Amino acid sequence: MKTPDTLADRAAARPDTRRRRPPRRDRLAPYLFVAPFLILFLVFGAYPLIKSVILAFYITSGPRDQVFVGLENFRFLLTDPDFWKAVRNTVVYTVWSLALQIPLGLGLAILLNSRWVKGREFFRLAFFSPNLVGQVFVGVLFSVLFVPQYGLVNRFLHATVGAPLDTRWLSEPSLIMPALILTSLWMYAGMHMVYFLAGLQTVERELYEAAQLDGANSWGQFWHVTLPGIRHVLIFVVIISTIGSFQLFELPWVMLGRSPGPDAAGLTIVMYLYINGYVSGDLGYASAVGWTLALGLLAVSLLQLRLSGALRG
Amino acid sequence: MARFPYGASAAVMAGLAVASGAYLAARRAHKPRYDLRLWTFAKPHADAYLKMLPDFLRKHPGKSVDIQIVAGEAVTSRLQAAFWSNLDVPDLAEVEISWAGSFFRGRLESIGFRDLTERIHQTGLWERIVQARFAPYTTRGRIFGIPHDVHPVMLAYRRDLVEKLGIDVERLRTWDEFVEVGRRVTVPGKRFMMELPPEGLSALEVMLFQRGGGYFDAQGNCTLDNEIAIETMRYYAPLVAGKHRIGNDLGGGQIFTRALEDGYYLFMVAPDWRTKSIEQDVPKVAGRMALMPLPAFYPGGRRTSTWGGTMIGITKRCADPDLAWELIMHLYLNKEALAEQFRGTNILPPARDLWDHPAYDEPRPFWSNQPLGRLYANLAPETPPQYTSPYIGLAKAKLSEALIACVRYYDRYGVRGFDGFVRQQMARAAAEVRRQMRRNPYLHENA
Repeated sequence: MKTPDTLADRAAARPDTRRRRPPRRDRLAPYLFVAPFLILFLVFGAYPLIKSVILAFYITSGPRDQVFVGLENFRFLLTDPDFWKAVRNTVVYTVWSLALQIPLGLGLAILLNSRWVKGREFFRLAFFSPNLVGQVFVGVLFSVLFVPQYGLVNRFLHATVGAPLDTRWLSEPSLIMPALILTSLWMYAGMHMVYFLAGLQTVERELYEAAQLDGANSWGQFWHVTLPGIRHVLIFVVIISTIGSFQLFELPWVMLGRSPGPDAAGLTIVMYLYINGYVSGDLGYASAVGWTLALGLLAVSLLQLRLSGALRG
Repeated sequence: MARFPYGASAAVMAGLAVASGAYLAARRAHKPRYDLRLWTFAKPHADAYLKMLPDFLRKHPGKSVDIQIVAGEAVTSRLQAAFWSNLDVPDLAEVEISWAGSFFRGRLESIGFRDLTERIHQTGLWERIVQARFAPYTTRGRIFGIPHDVHPVMLAYRRDLVEKLGIDVERLRTWDEFVEVGRRVTVPGKRFMMELPPEGLSALEVMLFQRGGGYFDAQGNCTLDNEIAIETMRYYAPLVAGKHRIGNDLGGGQIFTRALEDGYYLFMVAPDWRTKSIEQDVPKVAGRMALMPLPAFYPGGRRTSTWGGTMIGITKRCADPDLAWELIMHLYLNKEALAEQFRGTNILPPARDLWDHPAYDEPRPFWSNQPLGRLYANLAPETPPQYTSPYIGLAKAKLSEALIACVRYYDRYGVRGFDGFVRQQMARAAAEVRRQMRRNPYLHENA
């Protein structure tokens, strides 16, 4: 090979770093690879989203019969006692679910994170597995468990605390919400446990040792080391649990026999949306409900993020 | 594959997509095409129709019919989706009575079923069928479904226990007489005169229809706050609340079986279809059950009501509505086949001229050798109408709320102020239904 001699030779020997236009095939490749997702997203995601915004200003009966009503759907929504009952039920469910599921999930995670527990993988799977089967299956299962007189829940409560055998969990309005909360506790505590377990394993052991050296007891270690260490996971779990709770539909729908239950005690916001959209056929009003729910959830999530300090730089 | 310009993985993915699409397209091309496709949600119906089909096909050579079972409420949502999207619409569909109204929400032209009003009158079907049974499938004066049944209601009772208690059912001609006896024999927690839900609507609806009331009138106006509805609620709530209640309800399924076996209830509401459920679910009481007409609300009054129902409609997508109509006539008006179906389901067909078949006079050992068919056939002409609306679901929900409120009130305060409270609750229920109905711009056309 000829050794570069002149400046021209040296320039010729250097790699050509000028920006060369890649071949057309290579320029098109990225777009072709994302095209399937993009097409599907535009057709099944973006278009319905935009259409639902427009529909929210119409009263409809199926897709062909539509009458423009402006903000009438939203005005009706805000003055409909059924909607506020749904909101009340959903908020009660959310508050109680968070209050029970998160501490239970965290407690299970702390137990499983302990060095003394054997068979951790088994317990992790056992606690998480209810989350794998879906709300419809759980709804069917628990509607049998809550049967008066012969259901396992009543039998257990009767045997342990002497509760009446004919307690009507799913037909007594005051007991429907507790039944739903208990069911979702069984279903979701394990899922929260998995998140917290992952978070706990990022907390450095040295921090606990340091806390012990400083004289902190178990509670002190939990409050000053564990909680701050899993703060980000806790915020995440609270937010997704809130969003998930506000979207409650399948569980009460299946457990209450495809209805909101006596006195609409199991009516949730999404159930209200479903009944108005797909039972009554007013997709326009259902869209208005959907967007109101979405904006409400956004507001609640932002508030949670602000209160938790996550929004601070 | 190395020559594929975007690499091996892209080639594999593209190949899989093309292959699976081609497979699905080829499979679809081989799907058999039928002249008529009928959706039903009830397996007993489908079983009966499949038996009747060969005879129909013999009369129509070269034609083919597919009968598909679509589960439960899925038939309603799938059918609604099919109408809206104009895809996979069957030629005929059976719809349960409580869902029929949901198809009548929009403009008359937008209803997915064909208007059968003229055919029904021209073919004489209007005179043959108990006319009240067209009501649930009629909107704005137009009929969109042929009724499958009549579903007259009687009271089923534990004959052995009733006789042991010295109750003479012949003397239970009015509800007042029934309630008086009920208060004597009811032992709360152990034995109730009748299965009457404190939170459910089944028995309350039966009484409401028996009195000539309902959720809506023939013009589609909500009637939850008329005097009949108020009186019915005022009568019903004390039967399930307070110190002198005579009714209770533990639930369905195994609970009901056990309750009936144990004699927890003596009487229960029994439309024709429910007698078959009782035969199947509670075989241990065979020979010890019997039927009696409902007590009347006043001497000489109506002694039956109605509960449940099914219609069949021809969809607008049907390419051969004449053939579809002939299929309906064959399935719904075939005397021999329907008599056989009656033996298997206890369901009375809706056409009066079919009831003279001997099957309806056969004694039934389960029911103390009573001629079950004849008992129901005698009451069927008096079956009250049930007018429908797209808002029937909402109306039921509101009535349920009113019932629970009235039961709680009566439990707490008894008769003190009860009349006014009932009026207030029923007025509120009706007002909320009307508020929703006012939003529908299509409902009052042609009214």
